[in-house]
Amino acid sequence: MALETLQIEHVPSDHHVYAALFRDVQNVDFLQAQLIGKNPEFEYAFIDASVIISRTHLLAAIFRALNTLTEGTLQTPNVHSDIVIGLSPTNNISESYRRYGLTPSKTRDVLVIKVVYPKLSSENSTITNEVPTPASIWQHLTTHIQGKPVPLTDEELAKSTDWQKVRKYYKLNGVPGVERIDKADEEGRRREMEGLVVSGIALRGL
Amino acid sequence: MPDAKGRRIALGCEGSANKLGIGIIAHDPVTGEAIVLSNVRDTFVSPPGTGFLPKDTARHHRAYFVRVAKKALAASGVSISEIDCICYTKGPGMGGPLTSVAVGARTLALLWGKELVGVNHCVGHIEMGRAITGASNPVVLYVSGGNTQVIAYAEQRYRIFGETLDIAVGNCLDRFARTLEISNDPAPGYNIEQLAKQGGRVLLDLPYAVKGMDCSFSGILGRADDLAAQMKAGEPGPDGEPFTPADLCFSLQETVFAMLVEITERAMAHVGSNQVLIVGGVGCNERLQEMMGAMAAERGGSVYATDERFCIDNGIMIAHAGLLAYETGFRTPLEESTCTQRFRTDEVFVKWRD
Amino acid sequence: MCPSAPPERNGRQAPASPKQKFAIINKTTAQPNPSATNLSPDTNRTFNPRDPLENYSTRLMDTSPQSPPTKKRKMATSTSTAAAASSEQEQEHQFPLPPILTHPSAAPPTLITQGAEGRLYKTTFFSPDIPCALKYRPPKPYRHPILDARLTKARLAFEAKVLERCRREGVPVPAVYAQNAAAGWIAVEWIEGAPVRVKINEWLGQRPKNEEEEKAALEKDQGPLVELMKRIGSAIAGLHRTGVVHGDLTTSNMMLRPPPVKTTTTTEEGETNGVSSEEAQEKAKLLEGDVVIIDFGLANQSQSDEDRATDLYVLERAFASTHPRAENLFEHLLESYKQSFKKGASVLHKLEDVRMRGRKRSMIG
Repeated sequence: MALETLQIEHVPSDHHVYAALFRDVQNVDFLQAQLIGKNPEFEYAFIDASVIISRTHLLAAIFRALNTLTEGTLQTPNVHSDIVIGLSPTNNISESYRRYGLTPSKTRDVLVIKVVYPKLSSENSTITNEVPTPASIWQHLTTHIQGKPVPLTDEELAKSTDWQKVRKYYKLNGVPGVERIDKADEEGRRREMEGLVVSGIALRGL
Repeated sequence: MPDAKGRRIALGCEGSANKLGIGIIAHDPVTGEAIVLSNVRDTFVSPPGTGFLPKDTARHHRAYFVRVAKKALAASGVSISEIDCICYTKGPGMGGPLTSVAVGARTLALLWGKELVGVNHCVGHIEMGRAITGASNPVVLYVSGGNTQVIAYAEQRYRIFGETLDIAVGNCLDRFARTLEISNDPAPGYNIEQLAKQGGRVLLDLPYAVKGMDCSFSGILGRADDLAAQMKAGEPGPDGEPFTPADLCFSLQETVFAMLVEITERAMAHVGSNQVLIVGGVGCNERLQEMMGAMAAERGGSVYATDERFCIDNGIMIAHAGLLAYETGFRTPLEESTCTQRFRTDEVFVKWRD
Repeated sequence: MCPSAPPERNGRQAPASPKQKFAIINKTTAQPNPSATNLSPDTNRTFNPRDPLENYSTRLMDTSPQSPPTKKRKMATSTSTAAAASSEQEQEHQFPLPPILTHPSAAPPTLITQGAEGRLYKTTFFSPDIPCALKYRPPKPYRHPILDARLTKARLAFEAKVLERCRREGVPVPAVYAQNAAAGWIAVEWIEGAPVRVKINEWLGQRPKNEEEEKAALEKDQGPLVELMKRIGSAIAGLHRTGVVHGDLTTSNMMLRPPPVKTTTTTEEGETNGVSSEEAQEKAKLLEGDVVIIDFGLANQSQSDEDRATDLYVLERAFASTHPRAENLFEHLLESYKQSFKKGASVLHKLEDVRMRGRKRSMIG
């Protein structure tokens, strides 16, 4: 197992995105505390894996955040938190953190995203001046996250998706576009819902 | 009958709005040239803050018809016997003024023993524009106080591709000039154009109304009027700063002209043409010409425009279009020499083109 | 009608005599290149009409013919050279890529179309296996930049929202993948297949070996083309039911997405046609698949019968001009539309009006 480098279309070549999925994480509260304390060693996006339905879903949110990063229109202090709120179809930031970020005692599986890009000197971490590498990131993650890393595939993600939550957050209950698909065609229904989820992320803020 | 030089000659009378124009044109059958022999016009200008009313306009046309006709004849250097036909604006336009001019035309026809040719005002603009500029088959933007149409020729009709859904762009500008109590001399639109040149600091937010190939102007006029009232009351504009009539004129022009350029571009894309011909009074506006030119340049095309002798309503365009029709055998018998306020450009059978 | 001593009007000086007035006017306006600034106020009012219109002034303009009338403005960036130059320009026009597409992707984006509305690229989005259509509206230099930015952003945002709403309601449209309305682009799901226009022409172009078969099928109201028309009708009904009108419905703005390849039940097809010829079955497959409506750049929110009828009218006209052979099949589309939509009947009623009017209204001069 190693850290995955995500290849995302239409992203500047000097921006690198790394991702990992950890199951049965025991120290969610610790991780959240690092974020709240703005610990500069923990510049990551931590996402509750149960709200993610597929890799494409994840990529949609990451792309959006990267786009706002390059445009200079981040809504939160850094690109990582923008990824988390970017998962939401609404503009409610605190609700987004609650729903898509870490909730100690509730979150079990954690998705980690790390974006490495050329920062302005003023943004550089004062502690480590070195550019993080996949190896160093992986080392850091496996050291501090008490969970089992698994491959970040659609199959894995599907195992932990809480569809009830997803349907609620993305307002997919009773939606005609989904309902008109035969109930027996679960695959078809899920694909349609994925499309609506991605669109919801795309249209956020409009 | 042709004159001494073998040319066909027509006298044209125009008075569908506040311009009374009479002109005499010659067509040389050998060279195919159209030669302007005379072009006289008298404009009826109403005081600032008012528009020209049909009744008064008709009175003006009746009062000036004879002298303008005499002047046109004198300046042309042709004799009455050399004139082949009398052309007049059948429509569209304002009822009273149209009829007044038609009476004059009929009188000349009867007096001189000439045949009549009723002409569509818009077709007059188009044909004159084509003749003057040499544009072979352009998309035509016809914009005046009474008309706003995007036209392209196909199969012997000038087909309307896009138009205003309510008022003409010139009407919008003229009425706004009234709101601001700008002088109507020489023309309200001209004065708005000059005032707009002093604006540019701010672009006020006015509603942009393009719907497919069409556009509408009453919404933007209403909003502009509201802003003018705001300004007069001393209130600041939407950006918190005070604004001036120049700012209003500038913003209005930028918005309505962008709308016109957009629907023209759409028509050009639709028919696959790169030429634009702008006719009608609003076509004199240099900002509009500039904008259209920028759009055409991007497409590798060109814009054709005429000066105010020809883009503002005039008699020579009626003479020219009328003579073209006359040469294909078209006549308007006296009993049919009526006028009509509504006369769509595509109702005319353009027999003189293939 | 000889004017007597002209009165003062509007504070302007009266001239000495009318005759002199004529001469003056003749001279002042006979200039080589009159421009708008040539319109100097007419200071010497001569004419004294029988009924003085005190409050009004007139301007006499002798538009003399002697001066060169042509004012041709050539605004092209190149000079009057021929096709070579203009095609080079075209190349340049085609390839300023929008900034978003200048970043790496698995395969370079391909330009699909460019029109007055902007450019359409085929590319991928998120991961290399997700094809997408990226619509880019470049800035229009002729517009004031603030106006241009406002408009582009508003239109793309609207288009994205309309697509999402339609998709939610089950109207067959592409899904929105990403957008940056302010930067002038939206990325939507790429729809495989071909435009309905192409498919219908293919179908019509193939001469049936057995004309009786085709006739029989059409008469039985069950031919594949009839079925397709019905599917289109009900798709449009769904669109209108959502409160959206397309604004540019043509058979080029509808895709026919072929069904996923599986073992085809050829016997079924044959029976549907009433005959079991292989050709008929093969041909029928041409028109299979989902109808997907694309390109909502001119769409509007509307529930009026007039707007809905106009949508149908535009399609009717487009259909008649691109598929004259199949013109009479449009009825099936309308019938299906009516069946699928409560307001359908009243829209069709309005359609009759719209047809008669041709273009919407008469112009007052």
